[in-house]
Amino acid sequence: MHEYSMTTMIVDAVLEEARRHDAEKVLEVELVIGEFTFLNPEQVEFWYKVLSERDSILKGSKVRIELRRGYIRCPKCGYEGKLMYRDDTAYHLMVPTLLCPECKGIAEIITGRECTIKRIRLLGRGHESSAKG
Amino acid sequence: MNPRMKRVVKAEEGEVYDIELDAEILEANRRIAEENRSLLRRYNVTAIDVMGSTGTGKTTLIAGMIRLLKGRYRIAVMKGDLTTTIDAEAISRYDVDVVPINTGKECHLDANLVRKALRTLKLEDLDLIFIENVGNLICPAEFPLGSEKRVVVVSVTEGPYMIVKHPFIFMDADVIVINKIDLAEAMGVEVDKLRMDAETINPRAKVVQTNCRSGEGVGEVVKALGLM
Repeated sequence: MHEYSMTTMIVDAVLEEARRHDAEKVLEVELVIGEFTFLNPEQVEFWYKVLSERDSILKGSKVRIELRRGYIRCPKCGYEGKLMYRDDTAYHLMVPTLLCPECKGIAEIITGRECTIKRIRLLGRGHESSAKG
Repeated sequence: MNPRMKRVVKAEEGEVYDIELDAEILEANRRIAEENRSLLRRYNVTAIDVMGSTGTGKTTLIAGMIRLLKGRYRIAVMKGDLTTTIDAEAISRYDVDVVPINTGKECHLDANLVRKALRTLKLEDLDLIFIENVGNLICPAEFPLGSEKRVVVVSVTEGPYMIVKHPFIFMDADVIVINKIDLAEAMGVEVDKLRMDAETINPRAKVVQTNCRSGEGVGEVVKALGLM
């Protein structure tokens, strides 16, 4: 839903890092996006393409997105794992529930809300220009 | 020094190198939300985040709660909207401080906007702040603001599937309000089914049925929030 503003933040963070390393180019950016975020990876890719074209350091760089599965934990029985989905025949769809699949306690979301820049691949500049940093 | 700052790797000419960055983009918002939370605690102010689609009755619910709680608490309202101050003016008639927050084009409030809005209020003269989020059932879930409790409002006029279509915002709610129950029959919507959906998705939340225009059920919302 807010992929544009999120990708703007991603691009700003990548650029800051590239400048700090005095890189000539950013070649690749690896992102991790959690299952429970409201970010559609295709839209993030689209905005990355649009936004990266505006900057010579970023131009032509690729973005790779790893989807991270979301997990829950039950404070009552210690269950850690996937969210349970209940098949709702009235709707013909799967409705997620925070009920613990083991003990029917109430679980909490522990992962799946991340939007992380995991790694960036840079192309280094020559010695002359990097020596000053 | 930021612990996220890794050592600087010196490059050879034309060398390709990887930087392990591990920078969490949403972390900045979460951090500011925590700062808001501790600021509010320091002044003993409770903040309640009210979320829901456009037209579900968030403003009417807040007005109803103000009517019940005025005199008991010193109240202020933050009112998020893309542009207008129509709702903010409606609320200000109840003689409480209102801070309109215009997000421009953004679809949600974020912790930084709330921090700015908090600076305009005299926290020592307040007990309770209602933060009305931008009308949207998706984005606000991603941006905690630092509130103590979160209310999600849904109404029967949006049809029978609103809760199952947007499960994740309901997972974050402490109280789920099903509004406009007086129109359920005309809409052909079963309120009990909506309630069951809410309870399935988030068994921790309290579900309250209301008709905010008449005030029916608003007292229960206030109780569910632990304010009465």
